[in-house]
Formats: sequence, structure tokens, C-alpha cells
Amino acid sequence: MPNRLLIHVGRWGILLLMLAVWQWGWDLKPDLGWLVPNILDPYFVSKPSLIWFRFLELGCFALPQDVSAWRDPQGFYACVIAPSGSLWTHTLATVKNTFWGFLVGVSSGIVTGLVLGRSETLARIFEPYIVAFNSLPRVALVPLIIIMFGLGDVSKVITAFTLVFFVVFFNTYEGTRAVERDLINAAKFLGASEWQVTWTVFVPSALAWVFASLSPAISFALIGVIVGEFIGAERGLGKIIIEAEAQLQIADMMVALVVLMVIGVTLVLVFRAIEHRLLRWQRHHAEPS
Amino acid sequence: MDNIAPVSPEAAVSKVRIEVRDLSKTFTMASKQLSAVDRVSFSIRQGEFVALLGPSGCGKSTILNMIAGLIPRSGGDILVDDVSVMAGQVMPQVGYVFQRDTVFPWRTVARNIGYGLEIKGIPKASREEQVKDMIALARLKGFEDAFPMALSGGMRQRVSLMRTLIMEPQILLMDEPFGALDTHTKLEMHEILLNLWERERQTVIFVTHDLSEALTLADRIILLSARPGRIKEDFAVTFPRPRNAIKLRETAAYSEMFVRVWHSLGEEFAATKVD
Repeated sequence: MPNRLLIHVGRWGILLLMLAVWQWGWDLKPDLGWLVPNILDPYFVSKPSLIWFRFLELGCFALPQDVSAWRDPQGFYACVIAPSGSLWTHTLATVKNTFWGFLVGVSSGIVTGLVLGRSETLARIFEPYIVAFNSLPRVALVPLIIIMFGLGDVSKVITAFTLVFFVVFFNTYEGTRAVERDLINAAKFLGASEWQVTWTVFVPSALAWVFASLSPAISFALIGVIVGEFIGAERGLGKIIIEAEAQLQIADMMVALVVLMVIGVTLVLVFRAIEHRLLRWQRHHAEPS
Repeated sequence: MDNIAPVSPEAAVSKVRIEVRDLSKTFTMASKQLSAVDRVSFSIRQGEFVALLGPSGCGKSTILNMIAGLIPRSGGDILVDDVSVMAGQVMPQVGYVFQRDTVFPWRTVARNIGYGLEIKGIPKASREEQVKDMIALARLKGFEDAFPMALSGGMRQRVSLMRTLIMEPQILLMDEPFGALDTHTKLEMHEILLNLWERERQTVIFVTHDLSEALTLADRIILLSARPGRIKEDFAVTFPRPRNAIKLRETAAYSEMFVRVWHSLGEEFAATKVD
């Protein structure tokens, strides 16, 4: 068993070191010279303190005229729903589109994987189409998707969907085909119809494979939405990033990146918890006895 | 060879449940025809416990799987309750216990045993009552909510057995169900199986390569030759019932019978070796 104290010290130590170098590294440039790389220039990477202040502003915690949001809830609310958009409305747009892209991609991926996994004939018919479409980098489709579905949320959901679908589909398909013959026969001898075999043997058996694909699927959904927002969007964290790039507002960009990271980590943790509950029967999910 | 089976007096009056006529199976392997089962005929009556005994690779499991309809036959006919068996079609009166562990790993012990009733749409309350009885009979009390991964091989096979028996099949096909278990666990399983069988007296075909197991359980041993599987001899096992799996082995009748069948089986083991 590794030393837990060491792990915690190591983790927090690295974070503090990185933040410190980021915050004060550039100030030491005149003294240390080449030891301080040029990319530490706040012009390119901003500074934790600046990012924090920008976060308070964009997040409506620090209102104009130096009023704190805690003292002025109405001002906070007005800022959040401002027509120009706040950090939270942009975040909500990205999360919402990620969620729908993820949901539609996962559910259609599971259903298609199950159907093709159960039917050799259908699998053979669709194989060339799936291989061809999957070989195409989906990101290359984004301009077309935006032309077809507009600058609104739909085009982001569809981009996320095209990325998520294949990951989940391939895993479900493999999981369905990996079901043991004898388990299927056992179910049939106990009176199960084809439909019941699908529900009670294929689905639970493929579930472990499906879950293995969900963490990458979350990342793919976020990638799809953000790339869509880069290319053309009315709102979203991707839009904040691309506008910050144009105006060289690096702190704004960093705020959006941190929020994205928090979203990604939260979603992955939520799915780990669900997986843990649904796959209790597998050894590595079992409670330590 | 004369394949007429010696039958016990009670079995003689009861009706034939399984009729196997000139059953053959050939496999194509690397474009060569391989005969696995060659014109096997026998019939099994209501309530008979029959062991299919033979050396490894003699085709005994293949015969069982053809009777179960799990694989198609190459020749001959199989009638179960006067209906010709179709490959891929499950007969409701037949239960099958697999050699390999086939409990559903994602279901608890209780939900594994209750699977068939659940599929049938039996209400939860009456289902749970039946499952409870089965768990007691299988000596699995206290493990109702355990997942199979937490169980020993013997316990898992008991779950498998009870999951089949709860459906009350009149015909029970068993493919070396205890083959992977150690001697001690095996004896325990024999006791449990004998006990359960005494209650319902199902018609059983039990595939095994273990002569002691065949003698302990069966009324009749159909001995198969080394590949291709043919019926070599058909022995009646007339030890009184109910049997005690452990005490039975201490009797003179058991030893005498063991030597008789062993001699014949030994010839087939030798033939397999030369092969």
C-alpha cells in the first residue's frame, strides 16, 4: 500500500508549485534570465490572480462600482441574465448541449450496438457505412453541420452526438457479441424468449462494456460542443474562448478553461458513481470485505 | 450389438420419454469428415436416472446436446415425448444443467434461482417463497443476496441446479455438472441431487466420465466406446434407493459393480490412449 500522506502531499505540492511559478515566475525573469521560459509571460498565459479577478467579474460575483454580489443579490441576478451573456449563461449553454449530445449519442449508440450485435445480417449490411463514417474526423463535419442546422444549439448537440455515438456503439456492439453462448442457452432453457434474452442477458452483460465507453464519451461530447462553438455559435464557453483569443483577453480564456475542466471532472465522477452501483456484481466494484 | 436395455421393474411399466434412434454426428474439420457419434440408439423411460459414461471425447456431451436441441444432428432421430427434437427449439418440459458455470454474474443467488419464474411472470411474493424453499434445499441459506463472484464453484453449481429445478422440468439433462469440483464437494452435490431427485423422480440423463459418480446416482449406465461414440454396453444399476452417497461406496455390491463396469471402461481408456 503506497503511503497516503505522501500521495496527498505530492498532489497538493504540485498544484501549489505550478500556481506559484505561474503567478511569480515572470517577475523573476530579470534575475534568472533563460531559466524562466518566455511563455510564462502574462501576456500569453495571464496569472492566477488575474484569472481569479476576471472569474469574479465574469461570474457576476464582483459587480461594477466595486459592489460585492453578496451585498446586492438583485444586481447579481441582473448581471447573470444580462443580454450580453454572463459566464453562467454561457456555461449553462455548453453544459446543456453537452448533456443532450451525450444523451442522444449514448442511447442511440446502445440501441444500435445491441441491434447489430444481435443480428449478424444487419451488422454485415451496415458495416461499410459505419467504418466509412467513423474514419472521417467528425470535427471536419462541423462547418457542414453549422450550415445545415444553424448557429444555435442544435448544431452543437449534433456535433457532440456524432462523436459520442461511435464510441458507445462500438463498445456496446463488442460487448453484445462477447456474451457467452452458454448463458444465452441457459436463459432459453429457463423459458426466456428472444426478447427476454436480450433484456436479461445481453443488456446486463454488455453493460460493463457500455460503461467503459462513457468516460471517453463525456469527453467527446464536450469536445464536440466546444469545437462547434469555436466555429460558430451564439453562446457557450467555446465562444468565450474564441472571442478571448481574438481580443487577446487571456484571463477570460483561462476562466472558461477552468470551468470546462470542472465540468468534465464532475461528469466523470458522477458516472463513476453510477457505474459502481450498477456493476456491483463485478469483482473490482465489490465492497472490500 | 444388442442394445436392448435391462430395465428395472418399475421403469418397465412406465412410458418412454426419450427415444434415440440411429443418432449420428459428423463434424467437418479442416475439410475432413470426423465421426463423433455413430448410430447410437437407446430409449429412456419415465423416472429413469441414466448416466452416459465414456472416456473424454467419446461424444457423450454431443449426444446430450443433440437431445437438448442445442446442436443439430447429422443423422437419425430423437423423440422427446414422441415429438422429434428440432435444433434451436427449447422444449418446456426439459431442464438443462451446463458443465460450465452459467449462473448470471449480475444477479444475486436469489435472483438467479428465481430467474425462470420471473421470466414466466410469476408474482414476486409467490416467487420469493419458492426461491426460499430452493435455497434451503440447496443449503445456500445466508447467501441469498450474494453475487456469484463471492461463491465457491460448488455453491455456484448448486445455484445453477436450483435455478433449473425450480421450473419443475420433468426431464433433466445434465452435462458433467460436477466435473470441475473436487471429490469432497462432488460427494456433497451427489447427496443434494439424490435428495432432490427422490422428491420428484424426474427423468434424468447425466453425462459423466466418472464411474463412481455414475454408480452413485444412476439406475442405468450407458457406456460409450472411444471415438466415434457407439454404445458399448448398457448396465442396470440396482442398488436400493434412497441411496446414501457415502455409505453406498462401502458396500460389496458397489465394489462388485464398479469392477464390472471399470473393466469395460478401461478398454476404452486404453483405446483413447492409442488414438
